[in-house]
Amino acid sequence: MVINLKLINKMKLIKRTYLHTLLWMIPILLIGILFSFLIIKYVAYEEIDEFLTYEMERLVKYHREHNDLPNFHNLVQVIENKKLEAPVFKDTLILEPADNEMVPYRQLWFSIDHNGRDFTLVLQHLMLGRDDIAQGALLITTGLALLIVLFALLSVNRVTGKIWTPFYNTLNKITRFKISEPVPEFESSTIDEFNTLNSTLNSLLNKVSTDYRHNKEFNENASHELQTHLAVIKANAGELLGRGFKNTEQLEQVRKIYSAATQLSQVQKSLLLLSKINNREFTDNIKLNIEDTLNSVLELFSETIDIREIKLMVQTVPCWAVMDKGLAEVLLNNLVKNAVKHNVQKGYINIKLEEDMLEIENSGELFTGKPESLLQRFSKGKNGNSGIGLAIVREICDLYHFNLHYEIYQTTHKITILFRQS
Amino acid sequence: MKLLIVEDNLKLLEAITETLKSEKFLCETAIDFGTAHEKIFLYRYDVLIVDINLPDGSGLNLIRETKNQNPSTGIIVISARNSLDNKIEGLELGADDYLTKPFDMAELVARVKALLRRRNFLGTDIITFGDISVNTASRKVFATNQPIELTKSEYDILLFFFSNPNRVLTRESIAEHIWGDNMDLADSFDFIYSHIKNLRKKLTTAGVKDPIKAVYGVGYKLETD
Repeated sequence: MVINLKLINKMKLIKRTYLHTLLWMIPILLIGILFSFLIIKYVAYEEIDEFLTYEMERLVKYHREHNDLPNFHNLVQVIENKKLEAPVFKDTLILEPADNEMVPYRQLWFSIDHNGRDFTLVLQHLMLGRDDIAQGALLITTGLALLIVLFALLSVNRVTGKIWTPFYNTLNKITRFKISEPVPEFESSTIDEFNTLNSTLNSLLNKVSTDYRHNKEFNENASHELQTHLAVIKANAGELLGRGFKNTEQLEQVRKIYSAATQLSQVQKSLLLLSKINNREFTDNIKLNIEDTLNSVLELFSETIDIREIKLMVQTVPCWAVMDKGLAEVLLNNLVKNAVKHNVQKGYINIKLEEDMLEIENSGELFTGKPESLLQRFSKGKNGNSGIGLAIVREICDLYHFNLHYEIYQTTHKITILFRQS
Repeated sequence: MKLLIVEDNLKLLEAITETLKSEKFLCETAIDFGTAHEKIFLYRYDVLIVDINLPDGSGLNLIRETKNQNPSTGIIVISARNSLDNKIEGLELGADDYLTKPFDMAELVARVKALLRRRNFLGTDIITFGDISVNTASRKVFATNQPIELTKSEYDILLFFFSNPNRVLTRESIAEHIWGDNMDLADSFDFIYSHIKNLRKKLTTAGVKDPIKAVYGVGYKLETD
């Protein structure tokens, strides 16, 4: 799982690098083609012009020595009685009968004096066509670009794998990190940025870990000290209650002390549970069947349901969820308790458990407020109950990323939980 | 019956001791690990009641020691840490029961008596009260030898009363006895009322005198004449 994750991430990083490298090749390719085209064209002109100039000089020299013209196949035209001051280069297209297409030629026009008469001679040479040059430029540049890309990719692949190794090691460690476990040691690397990342992560994780431990200790201490003294109050108040009073006022006062101590203890237990859930202290996650937990919770409340003459409809199939066993019990207990507690005499409860969804619908008192407000801590109910049960439900759903939905239509309350982890 | 109570809070220790003495148990106390450790070595106890959090050691070690010295001793753990870990560890080491602070004294008495019955220290499974008798092994109730059908909660409540005769049981403690932490106590009084009403009705229908007396504003009491 972890290795897979690493691979997928690696793919992403390298793929991104590839993509960017390739995108940058496009302007290089375009500029390269244009550049090669111009260079080739320039060089071709230079060469042909130079060649034609040599031919002209040879011809002039031959004419001076022999007073005649040699049999020159490059000499295509002799025009009488025409004199040019200086030699002129010209481009021209000539129909090539074999291919039946126009082919570019370079011509050199120059004049000589033969027996007192002026002659203008035209030398010509086949030129590279623009399409030929373009083709060449394209081939050269593309070939070169392909080579560059190939080597770039190969080196990116090798280098990225090597350079990013410390990063993936770190990533691997923090994805496996659990809050209750010691902070992982990160290897030091030769790259400054990774060292900074590691040391920053390290101090962050240390802080988180210390906070977690302090929070846990505080919870335990607060719990221990409070509950012990509450036990003393309850024991003594209970003792007084048992003795009985002639004076009902005194009895009432002791009863208040006793019941306040009892409620305080309950609230404290609930808050402690919330705090522990928030502090992620429940890490013993197993794959468990919600159906079994639901059935045992329903068993616990069966008599209470009978006393209220509540019509219970239960439809269940096995439903597997990965969570802490204790929290699963707390979750279902609070849901069922809520449905029983806030029900009416001769009401109903419909429970539907599907493969990844639990739906509890029950009759209740008319409620006009917002359903979400009932999921808040200490939202006071009609008879002053602390209303922490549903807050715990919400906290557990948040912890496991279960989708919790609460709807109320007048006297019908419906809670839906999607166990599929989003 | 000889009990050793280990608890570092003196006030709570006194309250527990007073209650258990009133039930005619022979109680010895230890306020820290050292004293408790010494007493376990020197004497035999039928029941050890031990707090896990002690200033100079862990109650879990006392459980270990007791199991070594005298395996027949029944052990009840009392702890304020309702962390599941402690509970499981305590029970794995051989503790018989676990109570979370703050507990009701009536609950502690009921647990001690249930433990003694399970360990067969009392010699019988049958508790008789007036014309009513309860067989704790088969969970059957008889009114003048005629069986009465009780629901689970009704049976639990009746046995709770039988374990605490003449002691006022608050509605809170009865609720906690039946549901533990699974019910908000303030909301459960209606249910307690219904359960007790039904229980009384079943007893009187069976022709026995209803021994449960309501204590106004507080709870109920099983009265001996």
